[in-house]
Amino acid sequence: MAEKNTINAHLLEIQRMSTEDGPGIRTTIFLKGCTLHCSWCHNPESISPKPQLQWLQTNCMGCQLCVAACPNNTLSYVDNQIIIDRDICEACGICVEECPTGALEIMGQAISVDEVVQEVLKDKAYFEKSNGGITVSGGEPTMQADFVAEFLKRMKENGIHTALDTCGMIPPFAYEKILPYTDLLLYDLKEIDSVKHRKFTGNPNEKIFNNLLTISEWMKIHGKPGELWIRTPIIPDATDTEENIAGIGKFIAENNLQPNRWELCAFNNLCNDKYLRLGTRWIFEKYDLLEEEKLNHLTEVAKKSCGINDKRVLWTGSAKTKETKISKRGNEPQPVNYCRITGLPEEE
Amino acid sequence: MQISKIKEPKQLSKRIQWLRDYYFSGINRKWNNEFTAWTTGTPWDTQYDELTYYIVPETYPFLETFKSSMKQYARKVETPDNFFQWSLPERKAWFVKETMVNYVPQELLPGDLIAGARFNLMTSMCWTEEEAKAVNKRIYGKNGSRVKMKWFHDHGYGNAGATSGHIIPGYDKVLRIGWKGISAELKNHYDNLSGSEKESSKGAQLRAMMTAAAMPREMAEKYSNLCESKVKQESDTERKAELLQMAENLKKVPWEPAETFWEAMQALWLTHMLVMSDENYPGPGVSFGRIDQYLLPYWEKSLAEGMDKEFGKEIMKTFWIHANTAYDAMIRVGANQGISAGYGQLITLSGMGANGKDATNDLTYAMLEVIDEMSPILEPKPNVRLHRNSPDKLLNMLIDMISSSQGSPFLLNFDERSMAGMMREAKTGKFEALITKTNVYDYAPVGCLENTMTGNDRSGTVDNNLNLLKAVELTLTGGKDLNMFIDPITGKKEKIKQDGSKTGDATKFKTWEEFKEAYIRQTEYIVKKIVDLYETSESIRAEFNPTPYLSCMVKGCAEKGMDVTQGGAEISFTTIEAVTYATTVDSLLAIKHLVFDKKLTTMEELIKALKNNWKGFEVLQARAKYKTPKYGRDDDEADAMGRFVMDVWTGETWKYKTKSTHRQFRPGMLSWNYWVGDGYVLAASPDGREKGQFLSNAICPVNGTDINGPTSNTNSVGKVLGGRTEIGDWKDFVNLVPNGTSHTITFNPSFIKDAEHKEKFKAFLKGYVENGGTALQINILDPDMLRDAQKHPQNYRHLLVRVTGYNAYFTAIGRELQDEIIARISHEKL
Repeated sequence: MAEKNTINAHLLEIQRMSTEDGPGIRTTIFLKGCTLHCSWCHNPESISPKPQLQWLQTNCMGCQLCVAACPNNTLSYVDNQIIIDRDICEACGICVEECPTGALEIMGQAISVDEVVQEVLKDKAYFEKSNGGITVSGGEPTMQADFVAEFLKRMKENGIHTALDTCGMIPPFAYEKILPYTDLLLYDLKEIDSVKHRKFTGNPNEKIFNNLLTISEWMKIHGKPGELWIRTPIIPDATDTEENIAGIGKFIAENNLQPNRWELCAFNNLCNDKYLRLGTRWIFEKYDLLEEEKLNHLTEVAKKSCGINDKRVLWTGSAKTKETKISKRGNEPQPVNYCRITGLPEEE
Repeated sequence: MQISKIKEPKQLSKRIQWLRDYYFSGINRKWNNEFTAWTTGTPWDTQYDELTYYIVPETYPFLETFKSSMKQYARKVETPDNFFQWSLPERKAWFVKETMVNYVPQELLPGDLIAGARFNLMTSMCWTEEEAKAVNKRIYGKNGSRVKMKWFHDHGYGNAGATSGHIIPGYDKVLRIGWKGISAELKNHYDNLSGSEKESSKGAQLRAMMTAAAMPREMAEKYSNLCESKVKQESDTERKAELLQMAENLKKVPWEPAETFWEAMQALWLTHMLVMSDENYPGPGVSFGRIDQYLLPYWEKSLAEGMDKEFGKEIMKTFWIHANTAYDAMIRVGANQGISAGYGQLITLSGMGANGKDATNDLTYAMLEVIDEMSPILEPKPNVRLHRNSPDKLLNMLIDMISSSQGSPFLLNFDERSMAGMMREAKTGKFEALITKTNVYDYAPVGCLENTMTGNDRSGTVDNNLNLLKAVELTLTGGKDLNMFIDPITGKKEKIKQDGSKTGDATKFKTWEEFKEAYIRQTEYIVKKIVDLYETSESIRAEFNPTPYLSCMVKGCAEKGMDVTQGGAEISFTTIEAVTYATTVDSLLAIKHLVFDKKLTTMEELIKALKNNWKGFEVLQARAKYKTPKYGRDDDEADAMGRFVMDVWTGETWKYKTKSTHRQFRPGMLSWNYWVGDGYVLAASPDGREKGQFLSNAICPVNGTDINGPTSNTNSVGKVLGGRTEIGDWKDFVNLVPNGTSHTITFNPSFIKDAEHKEKFKAFLKGYVENGGTALQINILDPDMLRDAQKHPQNYRHLLVRVTGYNAYFTAIGRELQDEIIARISHEKL
């Protein structure tokens, strides 16, 4: 961890004109490192807190300058592929510097609060016109609580709306630092059954659900963050069950959480290539998008169970298109072996 | 694969549906508005004005064909015995009037509510033998304009020529006082001339204009008679009544001031179409200006008197069809039945009024409805002006129109930045009495997006198109072409010789500063070169190609007794449009980065790579393309280079005036299609571009370099135009490019997928007002582009597709998912 005053973050990406991470036009800061290891993760490069080297095949011209440049002989070129020996690679970045096409990238650059603030302020005009602002996401941003707290504070000094996107698996003492500068809390509740939750994400869910209760109390006392959005990823053959949605809804209702929004985020399948770039395969690669009927049905279940029967409860994202039967991914999806991702033993 | 959804016209009456279908049946039509050519009958007569096509390089190989074929099929118009003793403007005015009124047939399509059908003319130049000889020498001679312009283009500098149109005539005045009023004013000017002045060119010009001013009245009378004769053949009582009313309208307007909306539209159309006849060119940017403002009193009056709003729209729709018949000029030539993007009769809607208040009105909305219901249709081209106080109702309607068609059916113009440019040209061009803080809001664009004032301003908005990149090439070589020119038709090789400034051997430059200095010298050189080239055609036009009819509607011409082609307009700029801007900026960035800052290559190696079109230097090319800073990413350092380039070329531009017509040069950035065509002419560039690849378009970043999204792209554009400073040109807005700058951004359909996102998109447009340029074309990512990306992934490395906020590089996601996304975009369901 860096010293105070020069707090650095492990930054994955700054995405400008983001329209999906809260109200208005936003700049989303993706931080690297996560407390969960969700098997469906759409940003697998965000899980490890360490810098990682990635290779984009479509950008590579096969010049192999990187292979020659690496001081540790980490890279090799076999069958038009750059093979990264991840056990040795220190992500020092020498090969990235040498690569003429940008096919090699380091994910997880250190960046200072000042640098992020400077970048983010460039879009202030758009935030103001749209009632937008910034969202800190990840990974799990509360893992870098000091950075996030300082950054959000600076945002509030500039009059910019702030949102925090968390999976709820928050390290101790982190939220008290961050929440005073947070206007909107985006909080994931993924799976009501703790055993399943552990199977899907590598962690049981008690802490996540309890954290929300604690934070909810904190919000009542401090009046901050003013808004709470709960988000539930709808993942086929995992979280997409009536029981799960009804269970989360019941939890929301029983604890009178009163979220300003509950989003059911539909599964999407665009991240295959990200796994390939990290030298692995996505266990959901053969899954198609969900049917619209199913998403509508689950939304109804959600509304009923949480007692909020209006547009605050909604599904977002894309459903399968009816008109086109494009996906010819060969075989039916195989049952997912979650353990490959979460690292848990096969049988519990 | 599903076929992408193309917008369909809607809610059209039977009448309009028929007229629209008829129009699009093209060459199968019995009636069309194809050019007719007319001659004085002399053997030296000519119709085709090639000067006006010098800015259209595709036509160079056909100039001779056009010229001789027009001449061959020209029909004779009987001229008076002493015709050739008259002054040239008088001959021209008389000839055009005689041809239009007494030779070209007057026709009316079934159901049409506006009269005035055939207007595409190729009239005689009306030259005497002596004049013809003089012109021919200046055009076709050894040092003639044709040779010069061809050399200029062949060697990658760009093109220049005195071009017609690109003006907003004083149509509002014609409606207000009628041609009767204009004739009276002309007579007054003439009567006030001294005897010797009457004998001079001044007197001749005014007499010519008086002749021209009688043309609309005589034309209207003929059309009125036609309508009356149609009444007799008509059995339908409703149509009978319409025809009777049209006959009545034409008895009154455009000679008398218009009173009703129908009269105003009729007067406007006849007056407008005759400009195109007068110029022998179908609507090259002859624009209507703020049509929703000056037609509003007629609209309101007629509505108050009981006109049905839908009938008012019906009148407009027939007007729309008329405007499209401009494309019939060469209906049998080339692809698409002559319909091209080459013409632009622009209408301007909405925008700021006095005291910063918004001027949107009921007619604005009615016209947007007409556009929405008629779309897709090309003419008249709408340009909607936005500013800080644009109403949400307007923005909502615009965004709905954008989301229901795959590209925006209009261009957006941004007032604050545009007005800053107008104020700048007022100051630099010394027109401070004519363009002021209190009237600048009445500016309007012509052609595509070129900002001018109204009724007194001709600013040659497309006359000079300069490839800024040529200066980089000349800097690298010390003033010579990088590659030898080989004539693509004859195969003849031309020896490379010194042409630009002798800035020395670039391989000897020790610092970036030395290179930069040399680049400034070469930019000075290319600007001077285009100024000189323009002079050849401008001076010929000023002497030999008067347009007295158009001059009647341009303030300054009558007062000075000068034709608009001679610089008669009160405000008379000519514009250098900079082409290849971003390619130039990125090339300089690449040289600085690769050769001087990081020393990744030497100047020798770079020059060698460029001479070889990067063959054998692929690694260096990749570094230039992918690992150097680029303009368009909101990177302050890179954009500072953009600002430097902007300062240099605009500063040079302001130094010149035309010699023959005293028109001040001003800067603009519109690239029309040159960025595609000239990509095959210009040598490989240091930014990694190969010869044969596209150049950058207008003020847009180089294709594929815009990786930080629409807001960063927009911010870069605003920054290089001068951004916002304490002392701005208009409030705190600065604009170094008064003509305006063409900017296109392609959006993912997911940006406008639902009400919530439409609100966000609206906010983006409001942000564009604050941070962006003068004009924006919005494209929505379409399946064709994605299919092209599947075929040529190397050109689309940075193409991001979004599904619900999840970004992925399109080229990296695998064929199946690509197909799925294409299918989704086809259905607008992202």
